[in-house]
Amino acid sequence: MKTFEEKWTAWLDGQLTGRELTEFEASLPDKDAAEAEKADARKLGTLLKRELGAQTLANEEFFSHQLRERISRERRTRSREHNVAFPTWWTIRRLLWTGTASLAVFLIFAVSVIRDKNPSGQSQYLTQILNTRVDPVVSPNATVSIFEAKEDQVTVLWTEGLQSLPSDYAAK
Amino acid sequence: MTALALMMSAVLGVHGAETVWSGLVIAENVAQPQQIPGELTRIERPLRNLFGYNQFQVIGQSRKTLQTGQEDWLATSKFFGLHVDARGEGEGGYVLNLKLYKEKELLLETDAKLNKRSPLIIKGPQVGGGQLLLVLVVQ
Repeated sequence: MKTFEEKWTAWLDGQLTGRELTEFEASLPDKDAAEAEKADARKLGTLLKRELGAQTLANEEFFSHQLRERISRERRTRSREHNVAFPTWWTIRRLLWTGTASLAVFLIFAVSVIRDKNPSGQSQYLTQILNTRVDPVVSPNATVSIFEAKEDQVTVLWTEGLQSLPSDYAAK
Repeated sequence: MTALALMMSAVLGVHGAETVWSGLVIAENVAQPQQIPGELTRIERPLRNLFGYNQFQVIGQSRKTLQTGQEDWLATSKFFGLHVDARGEGEGGYVLNLKLYKEKELLLETDAKLNKRSPLIIKGPQVGGGQLLLVLVVQ
C-alpha cells in the first residue's frame, strides 16, 4: 500500500497509469494546482538534469586535465632525475682538450720509445758502430766520427789524426 | 717436401751459413787506375765519392763462413793485420770486435754490429800518398 507521498512522487514522474492514475487524480483536492506543480517539477528536473550533466562533464574534463598535468609533471621530474644521474660530461670543449692531451701523451711516448731503442741515432737497418778506441800513445791527436751513407747502405767509421805511414806499408 | 723443409727451417729459425769478407784496401789516385776488385764493386760508388780516390787495391783479405757467429779470423798484409772476433749474431747482423794492428802495434779497436745488407768501411791511417781502408761485407 503506497502512501500519498509515494503516489505523488510517482505521479510527478509520470509513472502512475491506469486505475491507479485515475484514482490518484480523483483524490487530488485541486487538480489544476497539482498540474502546475507537476509542470514546475518537470522544469526543475530538466534544469537539474542539464546542469548536473554539464557539471559532470566539467569534472571529467577537469580530472583529465589534472591527470595530464600530473603525467607531464612526473615526466619532467623523471627527465630531471635522469639528467642528474647521467650528466653530459663530453662537451665539445672537453672533447677537444681530451683529444689534444691524448695526442700529446702519444707523441711523448713514441719519441721516448724511439730514442730508447736507438740512443746513438744510428739507423738500425745499417751497420752500427758500438764503440771505438784509438791508442792515445801512438796517435794522441786521433779523432773518430761515424756517418752513414744511407743511399748506398754503408756505414763509415772516419778517423782523423792517425799516425801517417810511409808508402812501404802499402805492400801486400 | 721442399716446402716442408722451408717451413721447418722458418719455424726453427735455421739460417744458412753466411760469409763475411774482410779486406785491407789501399786507396790511391794514380794516372792509370786499375779496375776495382770484384769484392768492392758493390761499394764502388761510396768509396769513390767519400774518399776521392780513383784506385782501390786489396792488399790483404779473408773470407770467413760463419756457422755459429762466434768465430774469429785474421786478414793480413805484409805490415797490417785486421783481427775480427765475432761475438754472436744479433737481429739482422753480427756483433764484431775489430782490431787493426800495424805489425804488433794496436792502432785502432772498435765494436760494431755488422748488418747483413750494410757494408762497413773504416778509414785507417794515411799510407804514402794513399789511404788504408778496412772493409767488411756480409756476402
